[in-house]
Amino acid sequence: MLLMFALSPFLVLGGGALLLMLAEVFSRRPSGLAIGTTIVFITSGAFSVALWLYGIEFLPVGILSPWILVDKFTLFFNVLLCLGGALASLLAGGYLVEYKLNRGEFYSILLFATFGGMMLASAGDFLTLFLGLETMSLGAYALTAFRRASPRSAEGALKYFLLGSFAAAIMLYGIALVYGATGSTDLARVGAAFSHGVVTSHPMALIGLVLIVIGLLFKVSAVPFHMWTPDAYEGAPTPATAYMAVVVKSAAFAMMLRVLLTSFGDAESMSWSAGWPPALAAIAVLTMTVANLIAGRQDSVKRMLAYSSIAHAGYLLVGVVVALRSKEQAAAGVIFYLATYTVSTIGAFGALILLGSYGKEAVSYDDLAGVGKRHPAIAMAFSLFLFSLAGVPPTAGFFGKWFIFRAAMDSGFYWLTILAFINSVIGAYYYLRVLVFMYMREPQPGAAIAVPMQSRHVKAALLLSAVFVLALGLAPTCTLDAAIAAATTFRM
Amino acid sequence: MLSTYAPMFMIIAIATLIAGLFYTFATVLGPKNPTPEKMMPFECGSDSVGSRGVKLSVKFYLTAILFVVFDIEAVFVYPWAIQFRQLGWFGLASMIGFLSVVAIALVYVWRKGALEWES
Amino acid sequence: MNVIGSLYFYVCAAVAIAGAIATVTARNPIRGAVSLLVMVVSIAGLFLALSAEFLAAIQLIVYAGAIVVLFLFVIMILGESSSSVHDKKRIVSRTLAAALLGAVSLGAIVLVVGVSTPLQAPRIRAGFGGIDAIGRALFSDWVVPFELSSALLMVAVLGAVAIAKGDIKRPLESAATTPGSASEEQP
Repeated sequence: MLLMFALSPFLVLGGGALLLMLAEVFSRRPSGLAIGTTIVFITSGAFSVALWLYGIEFLPVGILSPWILVDKFTLFFNVLLCLGGALASLLAGGYLVEYKLNRGEFYSILLFATFGGMMLASAGDFLTLFLGLETMSLGAYALTAFRRASPRSAEGALKYFLLGSFAAAIMLYGIALVYGATGSTDLARVGAAFSHGVVTSHPMALIGLVLIVIGLLFKVSAVPFHMWTPDAYEGAPTPATAYMAVVVKSAAFAMMLRVLLTSFGDAESMSWSAGWPPALAAIAVLTMTVANLIAGRQDSVKRMLAYSSIAHAGYLLVGVVVALRSKEQAAAGVIFYLATYTVSTIGAFGALILLGSYGKEAVSYDDLAGVGKRHPAIAMAFSLFLFSLAGVPPTAGFFGKWFIFRAAMDSGFYWLTILAFINSVIGAYYYLRVLVFMYMREPQPGAAIAVPMQSRHVKAALLLSAVFVLALGLAPTCTLDAAIAAATTFRM
Repeated sequence: MLSTYAPMFMIIAIATLIAGLFYTFATVLGPKNPTPEKMMPFECGSDSVGSRGVKLSVKFYLTAILFVVFDIEAVFVYPWAIQFRQLGWFGLASMIGFLSVVAIALVYVWRKGALEWES
Repeated sequence: MNVIGSLYFYVCAAVAIAGAIATVTARNPIRGAVSLLVMVVSIAGLFLALSAEFLAAIQLIVYAGAIVVLFLFVIMILGESSSSVHDKKRIVSRTLAAALLGAVSLGAIVLVVGVSTPLQAPRIRAGFGGIDAIGRALFSDWVVPFELSSALLMVAVLGAVAIAKGDIKRPLESAATTPGSASEEQP
């Protein structure tokens, strides 16, 4: 019985998804799917919180090990992924109806992809890790292709699918090599083999490590493995874009932390001279810089947000590199940043959705001209989320950046911190450009102006995100404590 | 290990040999005197029009992909069926858990009309 | 037996590599798919040599029987326009990049094989890799990933239905950029 309780976040999400599917196909006029999906997500998240409060040390989770590790790290990510999923399904509740895409599969895929994401965050073995990764990725490919009649959507989905499968294959090959060298797929046992010097006796383990890291970097869309991101994000329906930017990326970072810190977390693999941190640091710098420079040159706000999500992956990688000095601090910083990033990004995409309607979509900067006067409430919410993404106090994004930068300083990575800081200043440019268009420009006479859609779902999602952004900005302590507690999973 | 399969490999070898012999004899020994008329594509006596590729409905594709998915599901059932007695109630429960998910997928597909040809 | 065993391995491996090369170099995609079939079958042969009998059978049923057929299907659906590759853009730089990547990978493999201590193949019990052994393993130690794989199958079904089923409503953007191109109306 306690085992059922330990698995309840998974059971609730999976069971709820199945029930919703049955309800959808057997009811005459399916409606309220968005609300139902949101409720399933929230219930699953609530069970994770309950498990956290009950204390996982009292649960018989040992028999699930190593397939599913139920620890505080898992629970934190369960809550985060469910929050992202819930907000995304609220956005979809407005968007899909408005754009006449309202088909129930969207919600089912959303639920099962999140299920995959939770598998990914909790996997303690390469086998379940790969299963979760594929479950989540397949869902994301399908969501990208959801606007079927749009060539953009098809193009983005095809690129995403081909490159994604290729990256999965590379990663699988790396897993095979590591398995060949260490004789185990269990992350912890692989880690033990690495700390006993499997690399010197079987150098193929090292090649395996490199291939796995490449796969991980692809999944978090770090430069130079980011090519699919702008097209996939632009082609996908906007709620799916928000979902991918938030849930898929968070789960990928959870996987990255778990793999790098558990399996490849020995002194040798994490050393600055012979390990993965310098490569990751270089990629972090490359990711931030390239993404920020390209983002500044976009005409489409949606595409700008896509590049912005790549840039955020760069800041997060800075946080991962800190693991060189302190695994716990690194994990805590990344986890907290992901929480702040989740609410701000969903909010920004949500505001973009709310500003447009069928035939009068808000896509480019010009569409946003004069929005500040016409629709002050939405413009204000949008500004809040953009400030948060830029890292302006007192919003959530400020503290996210603050903790990562401080962790990098504490570990002596001054140059990395300075580069990251310069990049956030560049980033502020294109976020503020949206504000300039909203408040200081008037639409060209005769130009098509974006007309906001009427949707209570989207408004609710925006309101929730705004509350979270402000709450995390004004009182970050509670969430930060939770993130630090979650990071103790990686205590040596 | 491989010796267990020796008969199988022998059958494969003999089959390949016989087929190869027939093919070689037919190509080498058969009389050939091609004329332009003989080299033309034959389409019921009329000249062929249009491209070779036939545009098929995406329904074929959907059916094929659903087949692959349920095929993979069936793969998991084989080993369970072979070991049914030894696995006992635990095996049965696991399989029911798995199959009920897949069954719901089937019901979903059915009700959505993805198995219907006309829609 | 040992000589025959290694001979068998090398023949299967050579056929598999030849099939793989033919798959990527074939001009006609149907030939490419059939070359893929050759590769899949020889990999099944390699599984047999590793006494993974069940896996070999599944490889033949699922990959050779279903997936390659599905590929052929897709090629048929896409028809004439897709059936030959004319992309000659930057062929030189692409070939060079591929050669460089291949050389680096080969070098890494040779280096690794050269310095590695040989892996000890674990001694296996009779019946290893047979359907009984797979069944026992799948429903004892591996039951958690087995159950979780149902989620993967479910997503695959949902994705297929989402992409290939239902009416197509043309969104505005496509009307503006390329009129009349819906996903089923590929030229």
